[in-house]
Amino acid sequence: MSKQKNRIGLQIDNRNVQADPGTTILDLALEQGIYIPTLCAHKDLSPYGGCRMCIVEIEGVRGLPTACTTPVEEGMAIRTRTAKVQEERTDVLRLILSEHTSSCLICDEEEQCRTYMGTIRKVGVTTGCRSCPTDGDCELQEVVDYLGVKDLHYPIYYRNLRVEKEDPFYDRDYNLCILCGRCIRVCQEIRTADTLTFKQRGPHTVIGPAYERNHVEAGCEFCGACVEVCPTGTLSEKARKWSGSPDREETSTCSMCGVGCQVRLLVSHDEIIGSLPAEDPLVNKGQLCVKGRFCLGELVNHHTRARVPAQFEIDTHVDVSWDKAIDRAAERIAACPPRDYAMLVSPNLLSEDLYLAQKFVRAAAGSANIDCGAREYYGQAFNAYLDLFGKSVPLADLQQRKAILCVGLDVRYGRSVVGVELRRALKNGAKIVSVHPRRHNLSLVADACFEPEPGQEAALLEELARLAGAPSSGGGKASGRTAKTSRAGTDSEDRRRLERVARLLSRTAKPVILVGSEYLQRDTGRRILEAVLRLAECTGADLMPLPAQNNFAGSVLMGAYHELLPGARSFAERRNRVETGALWETGLDLPAARDIAAALEGGKNLGLLHLVGETPLRERPAADYLIYQNIYPAPDAYHADLNLPAAAVTESSGTFVNGEGRVQRVRRAVPPAGNALPDWDILCRIARRLGKSGFEFSRPEEIQEEIASLVEPFAAGLEERDPRPLTFSGRLKLRKRRAAGRAGGGRFPMLLTKTLPEHAHRGFTLSTWVAGARQLFREGTLSINPQDAREAAVAEGDQVVLKAARDERICRVRLQREQPRGTLHLALGQGEPVGPNPVPVRIRKHEV
Amino acid sequence: MSDLREIRSAALKSWKALQSSPEPVISLGTASCGRAAGAMEVLKSIKATLRRRRLKARVMQVGCIGPCYLEPLMDIALPGRPRISYANVTPGNARSIVESCLIEGRPRPELAAGHHGNGLRKKDEVFLEGIPRFFDLPMLKPQVRVVLRNCGLIDPENLDHYLANDGYRGAAKALRMGPKKVIDEVREAGIRGRGGAGFPTWRKWEICRSQKETERYMICNADEGDPGAFMNRSLIEGDPHALLEGLLIAAYAIGAGRGYIYIRAEYPLAIARLKKAIGQMRKLGFLGKNIRNSNFDFDVTIKEGAGAFVCGEETALIASIEGQRGMPRSRPPFPAVAGLNGKPTIINNVETLGTLPNVLRNGAEWYRQYGVRGNFGTKTFSLVGKVRRPGLIEVPLGMPLRQIIFDIGGGTRKPFKAVQTGGPSGGCLSEEFLDTPVDYESLGAAGSIMGSGGLIVMDQDTCVVDVARYFLNFTQQESCGKCTPCRVGSRHLVEILDRITSGDGRPEDLTTLQTLGETVKRGSLCGLGQTAPNPVLTALRYFRPEFLQHVQEKCCPAVVCSDLLQYRVVADKCTGCQRCVSVCPTGAITGPRAEPHNLDAEKCIKCRACYEICRFDAIAGDAIVITSRGGPS
Repeated sequence: MSKQKNRIGLQIDNRNVQADPGTTILDLALEQGIYIPTLCAHKDLSPYGGCRMCIVEIEGVRGLPTACTTPVEEGMAIRTRTAKVQEERTDVLRLILSEHTSSCLICDEEEQCRTYMGTIRKVGVTTGCRSCPTDGDCELQEVVDYLGVKDLHYPIYYRNLRVEKEDPFYDRDYNLCILCGRCIRVCQEIRTADTLTFKQRGPHTVIGPAYERNHVEAGCEFCGACVEVCPTGTLSEKARKWSGSPDREETSTCSMCGVGCQVRLLVSHDEIIGSLPAEDPLVNKGQLCVKGRFCLGELVNHHTRARVPAQFEIDTHVDVSWDKAIDRAAERIAACPPRDYAMLVSPNLLSEDLYLAQKFVRAAAGSANIDCGAREYYGQAFNAYLDLFGKSVPLADLQQRKAILCVGLDVRYGRSVVGVELRRALKNGAKIVSVHPRRHNLSLVADACFEPEPGQEAALLEELARLAGAPSSGGGKASGRTAKTSRAGTDSEDRRRLERVARLLSRTAKPVILVGSEYLQRDTGRRILEAVLRLAECTGADLMPLPAQNNFAGSVLMGAYHELLPGARSFAERRNRVETGALWETGLDLPAARDIAAALEGGKNLGLLHLVGETPLRERPAADYLIYQNIYPAPDAYHADLNLPAAAVTESSGTFVNGEGRVQRVRRAVPPAGNALPDWDILCRIARRLGKSGFEFSRPEEIQEEIASLVEPFAAGLEERDPRPLTFSGRLKLRKRRAAGRAGGGRFPMLLTKTLPEHAHRGFTLSTWVAGARQLFREGTLSINPQDAREAAVAEGDQVVLKAARDERICRVRLQREQPRGTLHLALGQGEPVGPNPVPVRIRKHEV
Repeated sequence: MSDLREIRSAALKSWKALQSSPEPVISLGTASCGRAAGAMEVLKSIKATLRRRRLKARVMQVGCIGPCYLEPLMDIALPGRPRISYANVTPGNARSIVESCLIEGRPRPELAAGHHGNGLRKKDEVFLEGIPRFFDLPMLKPQVRVVLRNCGLIDPENLDHYLANDGYRGAAKALRMGPKKVIDEVREAGIRGRGGAGFPTWRKWEICRSQKETERYMICNADEGDPGAFMNRSLIEGDPHALLEGLLIAAYAIGAGRGYIYIRAEYPLAIARLKKAIGQMRKLGFLGKNIRNSNFDFDVTIKEGAGAFVCGEETALIASIEGQRGMPRSRPPFPAVAGLNGKPTIINNVETLGTLPNVLRNGAEWYRQYGVRGNFGTKTFSLVGKVRRPGLIEVPLGMPLRQIIFDIGGGTRKPFKAVQTGGPSGGCLSEEFLDTPVDYESLGAAGSIMGSGGLIVMDQDTCVVDVARYFLNFTQQESCGKCTPCRVGSRHLVEILDRITSGDGRPEDLTTLQTLGETVKRGSLCGLGQTAPNPVLTALRYFRPEFLQHVQEKCCPAVVCSDLLQYRVVADKCTGCQRCVSVCPTGAITGPRAEPHNLDAEKCIKCRACYEICRFDAIAGDAIVITSRGGPS
């Protein structure tokens, strides 16, 4: 009732209406179903009032105010389409059109064109111009149609600007720009990235990053939010430019990282033509990162996708029918002693695929040799990483937190959705502290940035925990020295900063620690994560592990490791084996598991290696028989004996479990490429051919039912997406890796750090399939500080010999100011082993 | 209170001591305008002369007193004698003036512009023989100096001078009165915003004061960007404390704890003087916490603008202070409700603020003696263009344009043609408006605006089409690009005017100018766009025949639009001196020595070089003439 009282009464187009104070005339009109043409207004953005299309008449008000900026007032009498208003709108629209290429808007042939695709040529061909990528999906066109503009009487000003194509993923043709400023506002208000701005003034006004930098240099995250809001064809996706508009959409979960954003897959003629963020209140809130926005479509549409099963005969691959392929697979598996059979699965697979895979290995092949690619990625730190999930909180909590520590987290490209949340938290008064090897996007906004020397990260975090009041660890073996937190600062300066941050963390209620990927493959990875856990314990901080793999949590929950059973329970415990075996109606007393990763690395022969979505090495892994089951064919060097084409993430249904513990649905949007089948289906078929029971699944829902009886988080049903507590009872047995000493003068003066590919999908880096990703992620290149490069007499793009104590390799260098002096960083490519990390090295230019 | 009284009496003492100084006092106008005319060289010459002749004198640098055409102005006051102003001083004659005054004790009536004596004694009359009273000069006599009262008379960097001349009396009184009474006094005085729109200052203040939010801001708009306008710069350079005192009064009235002065970086001297004055003000206790025990805190920050014209618009100015691109936004909400950082904000022009101390000190009644009902008070103008006596002037509102242009400005050398009021946002008024009183409403009715005070006078040699094109080009270059009508519309207007001035005008162009101009006026977001077409619309209204001549006859009657001109050698006058042949860059002029030359119109690029050399060289003798196509030869 009181709400009613607050409403104000007014008139719009002779209708008496009520409105809440503070709403704009445009909001009111929309509510009333009255169309007011707009170009610069956008529902998610602040009112702008630039295009002047939404002008209206208000009784007693001078001039023609804009509906988008004028708030309603008691007793207002608004008229939205008087002759005067329409005439003024038309005139302003003509002005806009005099700057905008208008052949797609005003054309004698227009009406006929859309129906008959007529041509002015004298031959009978069907044509129709496509002069603009958004033709048919253009807001300017809508307004032109509405106002019925048929002629222009102003001369045309073609701005004659170069079409900017040098940045990845989207092109910019500012000749089509109407300067509505939506892209700038979305970049500033929604993404809080502030990459774009207006440049110049008057007739030369144009949009872009300041100081003539390109988008990569200017810190653009390539989230594509600007492309989505552009009302014209100015900003257009390279990959989708001429695909027209979608004929349907399907909401699904992104498979590019563990954040688990909800995406709208755009489908045209049973093909994914693009992906847009879904308006999801839980995870990504209408945002996506570059991978979800631009890479997904290219990834599943690549022309080299595996479409039919193929078998290696003599020296070539021969396409075979599924029947034959399944026969062959079953035959070889039946012939292989269980101890020699091994399967490696990808953490990018659906939970259902992962569950089926481990069940297949254990129940159908009778082997214990199941492993997941994530083991390599988390290396020594695997178990510590699992511990992080015990105190994990949802991403949505971030905005309320006042103290945030980011450890090894870079949110520029991957996880930029988290970056948006961080910057919003900042606006709510949060203080952000970053511990990262080099300067990155967060450094600009963080209150304190620590760039510890490689190898010193754990000491830094331990010191922080000690200062924040942790009971000293290791039985009073307190480290006598202060960890050096940066290369530049003095000790006392560092000390003060550390103390300040420790105070911040210990005095703020509920701080939160975000853990990224940067330190995971370090020799000290486990120590770093343990320090994080200790710090969390003594400051009461919550944790937010941000796994790089979309279904890392799923891979653990489904038991895709030889130490774990479904539900992440220990395989070693007999009780668990008995319980699971009872459900599967099979015994689980399997021969002892082999360490697949060690075998692959050491070149030990495996009898039959079954790779499901994994490409662990560059050369063929040592195995008598190699089954390669993936959405892409195996690399040529693999000489895979059997290629089984799998359905991509957009082609099958199932679930992913994200880093927060949300079980989220993946929905099939398009049919599989060629004859590809979902991974679970392929495995079921082989198992059935092997004569095994328990594989009679025909739909993923049936698998989910079985999972629910074994895996706690699935028991609650899949309709709820709320995060479920992830407590992993089982632990992995981890191999010790050899560490290399510190750098120091002499023969190996520089310290090299390495990371495994973070932006990867099903065993390949995104760069392998997505052209734009190659420009951003640059795997295989060595980052070096420009000054170090000068001293070593190498220039951007040169090849250098990277020499460590035990090996050497050649790679291309990339000059990066952000790379601290005296250190090097190598983002490893697909299938490259980590080795000692960090490792002292020296470089010299490679003379060809 | 007593300490201020003590400071003031000390200041008065030092000011009196200066007046009755046993040493001669030399004051030199070294504001930007004086410097442009060479005042710094004159200063050097004065100092060198004093040193060389071992003379003792106090040399004082003062601001601009107004008559730009007399710059550089040097005043010499010999002990016990009235001060005498010498005009158009050069380093050379500065020496001779200083020498004759200081050594021989003899003024130089032939170089003097006027004296500053009042109620002269007999012996002074003899001493000043042949020198008029400075403020009785025709340019200065009709003027009233309220805002500019100290300019050119005091040392702007010396707080004592300001205090001795009733400085900070207005502020002190305001702090005693309480904010409400201050607003009442300002309402009583009827001050209207001097930035151009003439909105009643008190009303804006009251809206701001009535806001619940107590964090408020007071901003001084010193982003003077009109081409040819320099009122604000002169005031700040000549009397910075007047602005600061006004700012304090306004801030007190609205209850703002923080003030900003938004001034363009192109005014380095003004900024330096403001900075110095702010330091002095703080020392005096008029800045900081609990100012003069009034429980009122106030501090001020200078924000240097990068020189965008649009930043003179309130909301763009606020955006600029916030660190954003200077771009206006739609109103409501008005800044008085939600301005800087979303808080209630008042923005007043320099001149409005400069008026306040006087109003507070002398009372509203006193202020209302100037001007006319509805338009009380005085207004400063920069009177420029083709007038004989350009300069900075201050007149009571309601004075007819004729009096300003002809009595104060001395009229034009060639017949008067038009006057542009309000700078690039104003209109071009023809002769028939000369008797229009200068007030907000009358100028508005004529299609122009008061603006911040630029008055550009044009004579027969000025082409109004060209002037309209010039102003419109200025505004379109300075448009922020946000709204379509202003960004694109003004570009089309310029394009059409370009076409007309280059002889490609079409008959329908005049209609397009009219309708498009009105669209831009109606449809633009902020004041810049809403007023941008004024110059062309008024020019069309009052000088239509001239437009028609350009379009139909391709003729520029003022002989300005170069594409429409023809160069010719008048054989009777040509002495054949070959000067023009030597300067012609294209070899268009030929002819043997001592015989009339030929000018090849095909080759001529109308660079004017031959015309200039022929006109200003005695040997040549005005043989080259420029005429417009289609016009009388």
